[in-house]
Amino acid sequence: MTEEQPMIPDSAFTIDGVSTGYGKQVVSRRLSLTIERGTRTALVGPNGSGKSTTLKTLARLIEPLSGAVYLSGQDINRLPTRQVARQMAILPQVHEVPAELTVMELVEQGRFPHVGALGMLRRRDDQAIQDAIGMTRLSDFVHRPIDTLSGGERQRAWMALALSQQTDILLLDEPTTFLDVGHQLDLLELISGLNRDRGVTIVMVLHDLNHAARFSDRMIAMSGGDVVADGPPAQVLTPRLLRDCFGVEASVATDPNTGSPMCIPHSPIFSEDQENAANG
Amino acid sequence: MIGASPNGHRPGGVSSPQVRSRRTLALLGALLLAVMCAYVMLGPVVFGPEQVFRALLDQADEVFHRISVWEVRVPRVLIAALAGAMLASSGAFLQSVLRNPLAAPATVGVTQGAVLGAVLALAISFGSEGALDDLNAFVPMAAIAGGLLAGGLVYVLSYRRAGTDPVRLILTGVIVAAAVSSVTSFIVLVSGSHIDSIVRWLVGSLGNRTWEHLVFLVPVAVLILPLVVMAVPLANALQLGDAASVSLGLRTEEARAITLITAVVLAAGSVSVAGGIAFLGLIAPHLARTLVGSDLRRLLPCSALVGAIILVSADLLARVFSLDWIPFWDIQTESGSRVPVGAFTALVGAPFFLYLMRERMR
Repeated sequence: MTEEQPMIPDSAFTIDGVSTGYGKQVVSRRLSLTIERGTRTALVGPNGSGKSTTLKTLARLIEPLSGAVYLSGQDINRLPTRQVARQMAILPQVHEVPAELTVMELVEQGRFPHVGALGMLRRRDDQAIQDAIGMTRLSDFVHRPIDTLSGGERQRAWMALALSQQTDILLLDEPTTFLDVGHQLDLLELISGLNRDRGVTIVMVLHDLNHAARFSDRMIAMSGGDVVADGPPAQVLTPRLLRDCFGVEASVATDPNTGSPMCIPHSPIFSEDQENAANG
Repeated sequence: MIGASPNGHRPGGVSSPQVRSRRTLALLGALLLAVMCAYVMLGPVVFGPEQVFRALLDQADEVFHRISVWEVRVPRVLIAALAGAMLASSGAFLQSVLRNPLAAPATVGVTQGAVLGAVLALAISFGSEGALDDLNAFVPMAAIAGGLLAGGLVYVLSYRRAGTDPVRLILTGVIVAAAVSSVTSFIVLVSGSHIDSIVRWLVGSLGNRTWEHLVFLVPVAVLILPLVVMAVPLANALQLGDAASVSLGLRTEEARAITLITAVVLAAGSVSVAGGIAFLGLIAPHLARTLVGSDLRRLLPCSALVGAIILVSADLLARVFSLDWIPFWDIQTESGSRVPVGAFTALVGAPFFLYLMRERMR
């Protein structure tokens, strides 16, 4: 671990020698990473690789066992949590939807970090809320209970909640998991648009490697809690990575329309090593 | 209709649900006033409005009118309204924070704890000479203490390294509730001839409640009011889940503790004067939710009004209804032929709750 606090002026996050885990079970050991402002980073890896845990550590949903996460140079777990919430919004993987809560009532909550608990007693009708509703195309649904919406609309409603927080940083944990391919692309375009038009820093966990390659500037592949590849998608998404990290034989080509790499998996490899790793 | 969207929701009318729920709240307020007036006028003896006014102004034709209105009906209706509102508010908070539509003060053991406190105080006072009436302020105090202790116990037992979570709170609550109830059962068994007045606490009754009880309950309600106001926005955020609450900058455990303390005090206060009224803490918030939705800024006042209306109406029934009306039944309880109000809320509440559930499952 370094002696002095790392001060990289333009970094959104600096992860410094962080070990993460739940209780006594360690997931990652001494991870160090820097995430630049205004970039789109995709965390990929097989199930149990530690990518979600890493995102949760960035999100301060879990505290590191050792080491520290710096948000704009300050220890995120020492900053007042409301101050963090004005800089960073999180789209969690699973949502609790109270019955009868409307889209508007959900999106309004995004103003909490800005106006505080007592400010939330009044109905909020801020510009940020209108913007968030407009960007997610929910204007026709504002007074509909969330549990009456389709999966795609529902995810857009949660997205609108995160947007109405008006933060420079957005963390997303598998935002496309329960969506069909059309809604997946729709959401990823929206996220990329935020980055392009407003310079929002994006860090997301994605399962679909081709989406990750297409909608990120940087891919970080994790396996067994360690970073095994890190760089532009074209360098990370290789047949070798797919074999070593995901255990599949695959070919990688360039998408003629987007220019980003895409992979076509062929068959899983069951090596003795992996069996052992899985059982150990 | 021209311009109506096919799904029946007007896209342009941004303020319409707010206006609608304000109208609903005003209507409920008027309804509460109406049932409270009916409560004071109706009973074994019926008074007209003029007789009520004269009794209130201490100019009644007969002393008995003054006593009946001022000493019996007015304090009792105020207690019913306040206790009903507090119990229902507690349920609304618990359902939101525990993210469970079945949560209620009785799910987390607070009702049972408060009942045990009251029953224990009664049992002790039976031992000493003469002092066995519900008018004793010692009983409500013991009830509040019991409710707070049970709620505190549930919280502490649910606490792990990282804090509490809704599922653990509910499971612990159910277990504590069962344990506390068994202690109460034991006291009931050994209390012999006083079983009647103890059962009234178990079921919930407003018999013999008068100004003394109101004077006890009002300060509890006033003292907890700032916490209620504070807990509304916190519970609103917490009902979105812990991860979303963290994203919004809440200190989740602290927010949960504040909301739970508020709910526990509200419920314990209610039970301390009205006993373990069944189903009200569960049903009133459900009904309110169908009227104004799940945002606590509207759900909480609406639940309070619905709870007050239900308890006032149920107690009006309880005051009027007599066991003597049941033919071929000569059983007389020690304290007369009146049925405790809790029996009515349970009798009406259980089937109504079933109906609500069936509607929702469709």
